Amino acid sequence: MSTIVTANAVSRHYKRGTEDVRALDSVSFTLESGEFVAVVGASGSGKSTLLHLLGSMDKPTGGTLTIAGNDVATLTDAQATKLRRDVIGFVFQDFGLLPTLTVAENVALPLGIQHASSKDVRDLIERVGLSHRVHHRPEQLSGGEMQRTAIARALVRKPRLLLADEPTGNLDSASGDRIVALLQDVNKSLGVTLVIVTHNPALAALAERQLVLVDGHLVDNS
Amino acid sequence: MMRLALLNIFRRKMRNGITAFGIAVAMGMLYTLLAFDRGYQQGLTTELDRLGAHVLVVPKGCPYDAASIALHGASWPCYLKDAYLKEVAANEGVATAAPILMNATWDEKSESQVVYCGITAELLKLRRHWKAAEGGVLPSAGLLIAGSDIAKTNGWKLGQTVSLPGIDKQTLKIGGILAPTSSPDDSFIHIQMSDAQRIFKRPNALTHILVQLKDPNKVDDVVNELRGCDAGLEMTVVPLAHLFTTIRGLIQATRVLLGCITITAMLAAAAGVANTILMAVAERTREIGILRAIGTSKASVVGQLVLEAILLCTSGAVLGVITAMLTGPLAETRLRTILPYAPTDPLLGAQPEIAFVCCLLGPVIGAIAGMLPALRAAALQPSIALKEVM
Repeated sequence: MSTIVTANAVSRHYKRGTEDVRALDSVSFTLESGEFVAVVGASGSGKSTLLHLLGSMDKPTGGTLTIAGNDVATLTDAQATKLRRDVIGFVFQDFGLLPTLTVAENVALPLGIQHASSKDVRDLIERVGLSHRVHHRPEQLSGGEMQRTAIARALVRKPRLLLADEPTGNLDSASGDRIVALLQDVNKSLGVTLVIVTHNPALAALAERQLVLVDGHLVDNS
Repeated sequence: MMRLALLNIFRRKMRNGITAFGIAVAMGMLYTLLAFDRGYQQGLTTELDRLGAHVLVVPKGCPYDAASIALHGASWPCYLKDAYLKEVAANEGVATAAPILMNATWDEKSESQVVYCGITAELLKLRRHWKAAEGGVLPSAGLLIAGSDIAKTNGWKLGQTVSLPGIDKQTLKIGGILAPTSSPDDSFIHIQMSDAQRIFKRPNALTHILVQLKDPNKVDDVVNELRGCDAGLEMTVVPLAHLFTTIRGLIQATRVLLGCITITAMLAAAAGVANTILMAVAERTREIGILRAIGTSKASVVGQLVLEAILLCTSGAVLGVITAMLTGPLAETRLRTILPYAPTDPLLGAQPEIAFVCCLLGPVIGAIAGMLPALRAAALQPSIALKEVM
């Protein structure tokens, strides 16, 4: 196993009016390739901030965060964009599908929607079990189907790190179970490092390791 | 990118439709203004060329009215003495002085105005483009030369003796029928000067004299000399090029006003486009955040939004120009009633080059108007944009 993420005393502080907010404070951990890690914590504990940092959508204000050998704090916007495009996949709680596009086009979006009929896209759609929904739009899909579409989109550029923000948060339990099973399958069969942010203890318990955040501090990393 | 832009435009049909309509109105106005400007200029130039004269000598009165009557045909309110012709022709700078006695009558049968021109051989020196479809082009005593349109309307044939429309108990023989000239001459009946003076009971009278100069550059000198001659007090000497320049000047204020309104409409339409794209950015902030999160570059976000603005403006511009071209004849009818002088040729005919320029201007406006909101969208930090509720 190789290390894909190294966080060394990572902090993210910002000002809210005159108040100094320490969203994340001196957090250190590593993520190995192919690991399945859950990030848990109460609202406001810093989960989303950590996810944004891991997604290179934000920069730490202290410490060092390295993703696939890239120091996130020193990346230009273009370099951060390239890192997101080539290394990282995102799955959002609200799916984040574009309502005007079909399933195939949404999946192909990171490649360009002109690739919607490519073999890679078709194979991924088949893998997530949506072959019969290729030309449907998000409004014609169930919540579970939308999330499977979002997972296929996150995988289309073959990322090494898959970040999922409450992936079952908007789903009923049956659909949620199928999504978790799909994510586990992706993690095992493709060797993708999977980081799930969740409030759900049952989901967190499925992970190999939990990063527990309390008020911006990492209190458990086991 | 194109498909995504089109899909995004159709997400808000009403709003984007109204925005495109604003561009259509502005571009339609711009096309109409530019087409009118060119059409009017071309019309005046063509009329001047057709007239073949540099100076118009008319009875005392408004020179614009006189020019309009001389060019388009009508009854004159007053007359020149034909003795003035000798004084005009005697000027050293004058190459040709062609006298005309014009009169218009109402023909009950066809319910239309018929214009008669009493002419002499001198006029042919100014109407070198006249060709005979049948017979000759110069009327002699007892013969008339018919314009192509009036001959066709009345079914006249060469050699036929016809009753003069709108005149009781007067007949003349058809001595010739002119080939079409695309000018008012096509609807005129040309007769010998002496016949005209007899028929209209205006012995020794003329309505106007068309003057061609030996050197058109000396028009001011000749005009001053003619104004200073003995008959100068009884006649108005109108340099036609100056007259047309003055006529253009008369509509200048209208053009400037229309230009200001058009520019205002274009600015308002561009602001509308910018506002529409800003609203789209506000509505789609989270979407933009997701696009950025999955690796879409800032340039692609800018390109996407600018493309939407370009498509909106292009569709509006094309719609506006086509509508303006189709409604040109209606607008022209209205324009002719308010212009101090209107050439016979179409003022708002189709102008493909102007239409092309206006259609090109649409995307340019779109690119400029869409740039600011697009840059603003691209500047959104993905982590902040993702916090927006979708």
